[in-house]
Amino acid sequence: MAWDRMAWYWRIWNVLRPGRMQSDLERELSFHVRERTEELQAGGMSGEEAAREARQAFGNYTAQVERTRDMDINGWLESLIRNLRQALRGLAKSPAFTVTVIATLAIGIGANSAVFSAIDAVLLRPSPFPNGDQLVKLGQVNRKSQDAFVAPPRLEDWNRLNSTFQAVTGYYTEDESELSGELPEKLKRALVAPRFLQVWGIAPELGRDFTPQEEHFGGPNAVLITDRLWRRRFGGSANAIGKNLRIGSSSVPIVGVMPASFLFPDRDVDLWSPSPMDAPYAQSRETGWFTTFGRLKPGVTLEQARANLASVQANLSRQFPKTDARIGASVKPLKEATVGGVRQSLWILFGSVSLLLLIACTNIAALLLSRSAERQHEVSVRFSLGASRASVAAQLLTEVLVLALAGAALGLAIAGEASRVFRALAKDLPRVEEIRLDWRIVLYSLVCAIAATLLCGVFPALRGTRRNLAGSLAQAGRSQVSSRNPVQFTLVGIQVALAVMLLAGAGLLLRSFQELGRVSPGFDPQHVLTFHMSSSWGETGDQKAAKQRLDRVLDSLRLTPGITGAAASISLPGLPVQYQIELGTAEGRAETEPKMLAQSRAVTPSYFATMRIPLLAGETCRDDLSASGAMVNRSFANAYLAGPAAVGRHLTQPGNWPSSEIRGIVGDARESGMDQEPPPTVYWCYSALQPGTYFLVRTHGDPASMAETIRRKVHEIEPRRSVYDLSPLVDHISDSYAENRLRTILLAFFAITAVSLACVGLYGTLSYLVSVRQREVGLRLALGALRTQIVRQFLAQGLIVSLLGCVAGLALTAVFGRLLSGMLYGVSAWDAATLGGVVGIVLAVSILASLLPAIRAARLEPMQVLREQ
Amino acid sequence: MGVKKNDILQGTLALLILRTLVSSKRMHGYAITAHIQRVSDQLLRVEEGSLYPALHRMEQQGWVRADWGTTEKNREARFYSLTAKGRKQLMQEEESWTRLTEGVARVIRYA
Repeated sequence: MAWDRMAWYWRIWNVLRPGRMQSDLERELSFHVRERTEELQAGGMSGEEAAREARQAFGNYTAQVERTRDMDINGWLESLIRNLRQALRGLAKSPAFTVTVIATLAIGIGANSAVFSAIDAVLLRPSPFPNGDQLVKLGQVNRKSQDAFVAPPRLEDWNRLNSTFQAVTGYYTEDESELSGELPEKLKRALVAPRFLQVWGIAPELGRDFTPQEEHFGGPNAVLITDRLWRRRFGGSANAIGKNLRIGSSSVPIVGVMPASFLFPDRDVDLWSPSPMDAPYAQSRETGWFTTFGRLKPGVTLEQARANLASVQANLSRQFPKTDARIGASVKPLKEATVGGVRQSLWILFGSVSLLLLIACTNIAALLLSRSAERQHEVSVRFSLGASRASVAAQLLTEVLVLALAGAALGLAIAGEASRVFRALAKDLPRVEEIRLDWRIVLYSLVCAIAATLLCGVFPALRGTRRNLAGSLAQAGRSQVSSRNPVQFTLVGIQVALAVMLLAGAGLLLRSFQELGRVSPGFDPQHVLTFHMSSSWGETGDQKAAKQRLDRVLDSLRLTPGITGAAASISLPGLPVQYQIELGTAEGRAETEPKMLAQSRAVTPSYFATMRIPLLAGETCRDDLSASGAMVNRSFANAYLAGPAAVGRHLTQPGNWPSSEIRGIVGDARESGMDQEPPPTVYWCYSALQPGTYFLVRTHGDPASMAETIRRKVHEIEPRRSVYDLSPLVDHISDSYAENRLRTILLAFFAITAVSLACVGLYGTLSYLVSVRQREVGLRLALGALRTQIVRQFLAQGLIVSLLGCVAGLALTAVFGRLLSGMLYGVSAWDAATLGGVVGIVLAVSILASLLPAIRAARLEPMQVLREQ
Repeated sequence: MGVKKNDILQGTLALLILRTLVSSKRMHGYAITAHIQRVSDQLLRVEEGSLYPALHRMEQQGWVRADWGTTEKNREARFYSLTAKGRKQLMQEEESWTRLTEGVARVIRYA
């Protein structure tokens, strides 16, 4: 390059110090003038004349200074500015192109960064605890379930006997009422096994962990509180330590405050207090209630831990054959356990957003290829006028760089905003609070898009002009431009294919949603308000009192105007909650009969009337503690007990549960999720209040409007308990499909963007084609071609490309459709109607995109075109 | 830039300046013009308008080095001196000049 290495620092120096530069030059030149004047004077000229003569020799003095100065700076800064100005002028002249490229870049960069940031936060980054990869979730495995709660003695055994864990601990939660304020306030308390904080590797921010005395049964009370509660209640004052909270009937001193970042088991938690493992109620090996975690010793692998825990449990099985024989232990990484089902959704989203980025890059490539082809003539003119390759390249580069930077800046803005929206939309996602824009991924998207821009914007233009400059100059205007633009059309075809694939995915998910809305759930979720009332597990010791408490509330609600029914249940109908158990009958069953597997639900007898689940046979179970029975649904009766004959049989559960008589058969309801066929279900008629019991109230009008009435009513009867979580059942149901909905919305958004991008690509490419073939079209029109023929020809070209794209897209959908099949409801991954619709939409839109340039071609005035070219 | 009567053929100015600087250690711009004029018996006259751009370009190319100094009359002036690179450049330019003039001379003689 002409501006050689030696000179760069001069240039920079001159740019930085133009003032000094100027005065140096002036000094140098004025010295020259003075010397010359003196010489002339010595030759006999008068002083004035000599000075004028000397100056004249220089010509215009200031022009001289500037010309000399030009030598230094021109090649660099000024040419940069000139290029910039030229680029802006060029881009302003084709606003459609400019806006399209910038918008495409911005969408590609923005969407990709936002979604990947979410994936990174939720899936890839380790848990936010010290050495988070050492944390594992443990569970006891038996025939009934994969991942059950662990019985307290077993938890202690596992902790004592293993050799691969630093410590094992567990927790369970209940909602409490804190009574020191005017109204009872609901607080969520986690009751934790010993070693809880040790396992997390987190110390209280203020105060201390529990002492061993506090972890013993009958020891002093103690509670750790969250940073949130500390700030809300105590204004973040250090005096909070030692203050008492009034929880139920007891007064509990605060011993410490946890850091704000520590929100475990979930972000609703308010308190932690010790659950004594030596309490009399915690000695049974048969009932488990601890969600259990452990921290692996450094360097221990998951497999080693599994093998170790398995052998520990095998020893326990020999020691306690009655209770432990059929129990195993499961170990899985905590991250896996928290994130679980979201993983697939997020990867699908990432797949689609990557496709979007790919489409964006392809689109940019096609657009820039067309543009640089358009400019070949201009470039060859500039070459032939003596412009150097470097200066032409610099000018093209400047233009493309302006595009890339503008697109990138807008993309970053979109990414930031999208990340915020994502956080709001996905508020039910685990770890959502950790989502923030990750600069590495932003950088990655930027580099991808900008590289595509630079590659496609500069090289084709230069390459196009390399071979026979003069030839291309001579021909460009006149020659018949060949119609082959295989690269551009391949790129457009690829875009169409990818867009079809995305649109098919979105279409299938939308159809599933539609199907889901259409199912009759077997119960009536409308006009039902649900709420919780605080209670503790300790209170369930007195079943009679717990039952009375529940009945009193339900009875008084039933008498309230505007309320037509009230019931309670441990779980909400229509939400994807599984609680599968295996049953037997007291009457005995033949070995050959299938195992009686059923979903188990505990409800008050009023549940069926309140939820409008019809009674098919027998009677509704009675509200009587001594002889409470069970109800089964039709599927259960038909599958296991020969239909109506089921009434009167006695169901038994493994363990020490008393057998229950089947009092009646009710209609099938989609108890465990709107997307699940009604499973065989057994309803235990059980009316005692326990933590987490849902109250279900059927109202005349809008359920939400009854919230205040209900709150006041319950407060009258139970002034020491808090009522919380008042919300319509339909909200619960739709929230439980929030992830599903988020996935569908995002995928639909990506798909629409993809289709628009593909159409822009098609439109741009065809427009370009029309512009380079003007002469040919003009000639044909002059020779008598019909305008409809011209329209048809260009339209056909566009349609062939998008048809081929559709075929490729359908093939891709066939290959990748099965990724989606687990998320579909009521449609297959190859649903003909959906795929047909998708192809129809894409073709219709591509006809529109092709029609405009085709019509423009047909409107050409032949004589004008031929004269101009 | 058109070629005037006693203007110096473009491209040869650098050769003249380099040649001038090789004989004396350092020279300011005015001395260079004076030297060329004197040595060429007033045949060649360096236009000030081309001298300084040429000098600055040569400075950028690294053929000459410039620094401020004082003349015998105790005036501030910018002095130019030859660098190693400039010396090499001079050899090249002299060689190509000789070739050119020989060629031209032959054509004149025999054509």
